[in-house]
Amino acid sequence: MSRHFFRFPWRTRRQIGADVDEELRFHLDMRAAELRSLGMSPEAARAEAMRQFGDLDDARRYLNAVDRATEVAHQRTELMGDLRQDLVYALRKLGAAPAFTITVALTLALGIGANTAIFSVVHAVLLQPLPFFQPDRIVRMGFVYNGAPDAGAPPELNDFRTRSHTVRSFAMYSGASVNLVREGADPELLRGVRVSANWFRILGITAAHGRTFVDGEDLEGAARVAILSDAVWRRDFNADPAVVGRVIRLSGEQVTVIGVMPRDRAYPLTAELWLPLVFKTSELAQSRGSRYLSMIGRLAPGVSVAQAERELSQIGASLALEYPRFYRSLAIQPQPLQTAIVSDLERPLLVIMGAVAFVLLIACANVANLLLVRASARESEMAVRAALGAGRSRLARQLITETMLLSLLGALGGLLLARWGMTALLRLAPTSLPLVGAARLDPMTLGLTIVVAVVTGLVFGLIPAAQLGTDVATALRAGSRGVRSSHLTTRTRGGIVVAEVALAVTLLVGAGLLLRSFERLLSVDPGFRPDSVLTFRVSLPARSYESDTAQRMFVDALTPRLEALPGVRQAAVASVLPLDGSDLTLSFAIRGRPPVPPNEEPATQVLSATPGFFSAMGIPVVRGRLYTREAQPGTPKEIVVSRAFVQHFFPNEDPLGRYVDLGWYVDGDRRGGTIVGVVGDVKQVGLDQETPPMLYLPYAQAPQSNLRVLLRTHVPPSSLTKPAQAALRDIDGELPVFSIRPLGDYVTASIGPQRFYATLVTVFAIVALALAAIGLYGVIAYAVSQRAHELGVRLALGATGRRLAAMVIGEGLSLTLGGLVVGIVVAAAVSRVIGSLLFGVSALDPITIGAVLMVLLVVAALASYVPARRAARVDPLVAMRGD
Amino acid sequence: MASDSLELLQGTLDVLVLRALVWGEMHGYAVSRWIRQRTDGVIEIEDAPLYKALHRLERAGSVEASWGLSENNRRARFYKLTAAGRRTLREEERAWRRYAEAVFKVLEPA
Repeated sequence: MSRHFFRFPWRTRRQIGADVDEELRFHLDMRAAELRSLGMSPEAARAEAMRQFGDLDDARRYLNAVDRATEVAHQRTELMGDLRQDLVYALRKLGAAPAFTITVALTLALGIGANTAIFSVVHAVLLQPLPFFQPDRIVRMGFVYNGAPDAGAPPELNDFRTRSHTVRSFAMYSGASVNLVREGADPELLRGVRVSANWFRILGITAAHGRTFVDGEDLEGAARVAILSDAVWRRDFNADPAVVGRVIRLSGEQVTVIGVMPRDRAYPLTAELWLPLVFKTSELAQSRGSRYLSMIGRLAPGVSVAQAERELSQIGASLALEYPRFYRSLAIQPQPLQTAIVSDLERPLLVIMGAVAFVLLIACANVANLLLVRASARESEMAVRAALGAGRSRLARQLITETMLLSLLGALGGLLLARWGMTALLRLAPTSLPLVGAARLDPMTLGLTIVVAVVTGLVFGLIPAAQLGTDVATALRAGSRGVRSSHLTTRTRGGIVVAEVALAVTLLVGAGLLLRSFERLLSVDPGFRPDSVLTFRVSLPARSYESDTAQRMFVDALTPRLEALPGVRQAAVASVLPLDGSDLTLSFAIRGRPPVPPNEEPATQVLSATPGFFSAMGIPVVRGRLYTREAQPGTPKEIVVSRAFVQHFFPNEDPLGRYVDLGWYVDGDRRGGTIVGVVGDVKQVGLDQETPPMLYLPYAQAPQSNLRVLLRTHVPPSSLTKPAQAALRDIDGELPVFSIRPLGDYVTASIGPQRFYATLVTVFAIVALALAAIGLYGVIAYAVSQRAHELGVRLALGATGRRLAAMVIGEGLSLTLGGLVVGIVVAAAVSRVIGSLLFGVSALDPITIGAVLMVLLVVAALASYVPARRAARVDPLVAMRGD
Repeated sequence: MASDSLELLQGTLDVLVLRALVWGEMHGYAVSRWIRQRTDGVIEIEDAPLYKALHRLERAGSVEASWGLSENNRRARFYKLTAAGRRTLREEERAWRRYAEAVFKVLEPA
């Protein structure tokens, strides 16, 4: 054990060799001297000594080898011994200061936990490749049709398949909701997708049970087949593999299940059912104007996205030349599938990642501060240990062991916090965000936590170690009182606090801006009154409701039945609801105006609704009147348009009485009608979006099979769920009621992502503020305790306690002000990054910045107030005697 | 057979070295002289294996080495028995005595 305290410095190879040589030389010299004293000549004595020794070279080699092994063994045991000693010592030290230990560990746990949780989300969404074969080679095509983003048309699939060389295979898809009817269960509406037969081959995924589509299954006349998602298979078919080959009823048709997709390995991610996308021959022949399809493709080997974009757009240009009747222009913008899925999330996630990184930085700054304070309080302890023979590196190792232990404690706490935080996060996350639900605490994130912990331990262990005085004598002379912390460490600590405040300011400004945006968003008038309205969806299957008459009769039967329910003020039916992400956009022509070339016709969003729709929604009539129940097939066609429609298409004219022809033909009949009234605008797409022009058709004159039913009530809307379902079942027992929710939910859901981002950043900003306040408090409190003597002198010389308190608070505020200035500058630079996430607020919003300044000054004043009060109560006698 | 005798010799030498150090620290040359005097020159021991034994014993933790000054004021490497070395010596001594007694019992006329 004595080696630990008075040990020889470790020997190098060369030193070992020199030692061996010296030992052997000593032996030979002594033996030769002895032989000389017996009367031998010096030469003879030396030769005899050598002879008696034996093989000298062999011995030298052997001794060197053995000594080297001995040295290594010594070093190892010594290091292990040191480590154990350091650990025991560190544990004792940390246990002796539980407040310090808990503060540091908790601070680190907050920083590490928040980062781990958020990083798991970033990892799942942005970093983890999609679970497909070579996912980076799959692209989603954006169509730019006549200069505006649009979808693809049926004939274009073959056009691109035959003409493109940069993309090896193409597939198209479109959403298709279908009713699943099972024996003894409520009918159910499934989110289906119709896809080309090569869909799953492009993605490179196979079925978990059964098979995927084969060539030809998407041709007219092929047998009806379907593939189930894992979720539907478990929910509706008890995870029975024998479902493959069974015939099920989908929207009144008999369809054979051919496969079940694996969990988490399917696209679109939210699809519940896949059906073949079948084009009718007539559709392929001419319908280049009906654009409703999305397209994906797999790039040919060695082709870049940019190359593909060039070639596809050339093909688009040549199509426009060949079919001038349909195209003014056509360009294709391929995008890697992952980018296409997560592009909306990238910016917000990176901003949130930045926010947690700031929290971690502030946490680290706090810990550094606490460690510095502790280090200067321990300067005399360190000096004593140095005087007793502990080397500087040995002391440094001791300090690093202590901080490593602290950071590991922090990492452990961080992991617990992260686990808990992940649960909260996933519950908070709106379901509309793709891939977020796949976030897990996996080995990758665990590894990151450990790396972060080790790095913080090293960095913050080194700071106090670097402060270790070399001047043992001065430190010892300062005695038990400890050494006056040098000017330099005071400045370091002040600097750390300034940095902390600056970081907190940046975060608070960011959070403030997001919150203000969110508040602005909430106060946007959607154009309708979302309270007290229950909505649900009904999808009329083509088999039993193919004719307009059948659809109209259903609605005619449904509305009075619903209005007879107690609590219902009004029932209405419409084809689309606002803020639901679906719309129907059609081109139109205004009678009496010069004809426009087909591809330059104006377009508007179109909605079929019963007359009661407007009052049920609370959409006001601005001019004219609404169409009435008298508007029936055979009577004159009437329509209502929105204010934005008038502004766009009748800027200086009276729209009332004008006739609009829509690009919507049914059985040789062209839909449209005379404008009889103008209604208020509705935020159809999103609260932060423009209100689009709208055109409303009487449902009786333009029936559709996808229905949205609305009930304005004078009781809580949810209480009508059961009665409404029962009323519907009375009319048709096979119809599923789907998406039953209050109208307000659509508003809430449409701002779900913004709410999510604002909540997260605000939580982190509050944590940052709390940490910065703790840091400021720590520094001021320590400064007061160190200056007790000076304060005592000032009191003795007549200063009042009030004055001293004011002085201390002033110091705290001046540090804060420094941080504020830096923070505002940083925030101004950083807020440009979040500019695209803001709504109705400038990135340099003076109200937000002003509020942040106020909050920080108040918090800083509070954090300095407690130590200031202590300063004011210093007893001059005690303070001066204590010196 | 040859390797057996070498092992025996090595083991023997280790015991002799440990025994030499019982009375206190010694440098290698002193150990060599002490063994020569005690064996009355009966066993001719070269110094090379002696030093090998010393360093091997140091590696095994039976002795500890440190540099000090010799009687004629030269730097010399001194060896000291450790607690573990003393234990080894006791065990080896006991084994040797039992071995020697057994051999004597055989050799003594009945």
